[in-house]
Amino acid sequence: MKNKVLLIIPAYNEEANILNTYNNIMKYNKNNKEKLDVIVINDCSTDRTSEICHNNNIPVIDLIHNLGIGGAVQTGYKYAYKNGYDIAVQFDGDGQHNVNYVKNIIEPIKSKEADFVIGSRFVSDIDTFKTSFARRIGIRIISFFLKITTGYKIYDVTSGFRACSKEIIKDFSISYPPEYPEPVTNAELLRKKFVIKEVPVEMQERTAGVSSIGSWKNIYYMVNVCLSLLVIRIRRYKRCP
Amino acid sequence: MPLNLIIALITFSVVLFIITTIILKKGRMPEKYSLLWYFISLVIFMVAVFPNTFAFITEKAGFQTMSNMIIGIVLVLLTFLTMALTIIVSGQKKKTTLLIQEISLLKSEIKKK
Repeated sequence: MKNKVLLIIPAYNEEANILNTYNNIMKYNKNNKEKLDVIVINDCSTDRTSEICHNNNIPVIDLIHNLGIGGAVQTGYKYAYKNGYDIAVQFDGDGQHNVNYVKNIIEPIKSKEADFVIGSRFVSDIDTFKTSFARRIGIRIISFFLKITTGYKIYDVTSGFRACSKEIIKDFSISYPPEYPEPVTNAELLRKKFVIKEVPVEMQERTAGVSSIGSWKNIYYMVNVCLSLLVIRIRRYKRCP
Repeated sequence: MPLNLIIALITFSVVLFIITTIILKKGRMPEKYSLLWYFISLVIFMVAVFPNTFAFITEKAGFQTMSNMIIGIVLVLLTFLTMALTIIVSGQKKKTTLLIQEISLLKSEIKKK
């Protein structure tokens, strides 16, 4: 039986990228005889994101109020859960993620090798991602904290290119961190004894638009993430039935 | 207790009482939350009216002056109140998020049909 796969694309003011992203996925489906479904979660964009989606028949859920990345992505997981998807992939709407790598990150889930797969920029030689020195240091520090709290090493803790199994779709649809969702969910899943795997992916630089992480927020971000990870260490977790 | 402190306390408790009543009248706070503020207003009033009782407590509790004790108690009360409010606000935020998600999902389903 073929797995039903959904790409969840959170989008906030992505009028410049969203159509391209969608067309690339459709082209990939056609060329590879795949059927990757798409749902765009429009996080109450103030630009033409919603209009572009509706005009081009891109499946979209328009949030009636801005929820931020965590709330938007969780809406996608709720949609995936309600519609019985087997695998959900978080995919950026800004052109950073390459659809050709989707098969690599869903493969370990299909083969039951892992419950959760992170598309990682730092586990192979194909790392062409231009990222600042400060950002790399930040990711290292978070990675270190994750190791302390869970005992596992994850290199690309902040990667937003992730795939998860049906069981995790349900888990996420019930509870998903509203802030700093990537590192926090990694830690929570590890505490819940899910198997996480990192596979190498290449990420492009943003093709247009502005990233949601501003540089002045970085220290605040780091402190919050590290605190969240430490709290996860002392919390009790069990898998939802 | 110095007279100016007594006057300040009575004024404060009366103002607190009036503000709470106005807020209640305008329907901007449920009655159950107003009880706390009425209670605090009453306690401050009692301190001003029966200073001897509180002078006794101040001495037994080891505070240098009564105003120190009052400030100390208020500080502790406010800290707990702020914490309680943080918890309430966080709970509200969770509920709002859930509502926004569910309504948005429903809306998109209705549009599809």
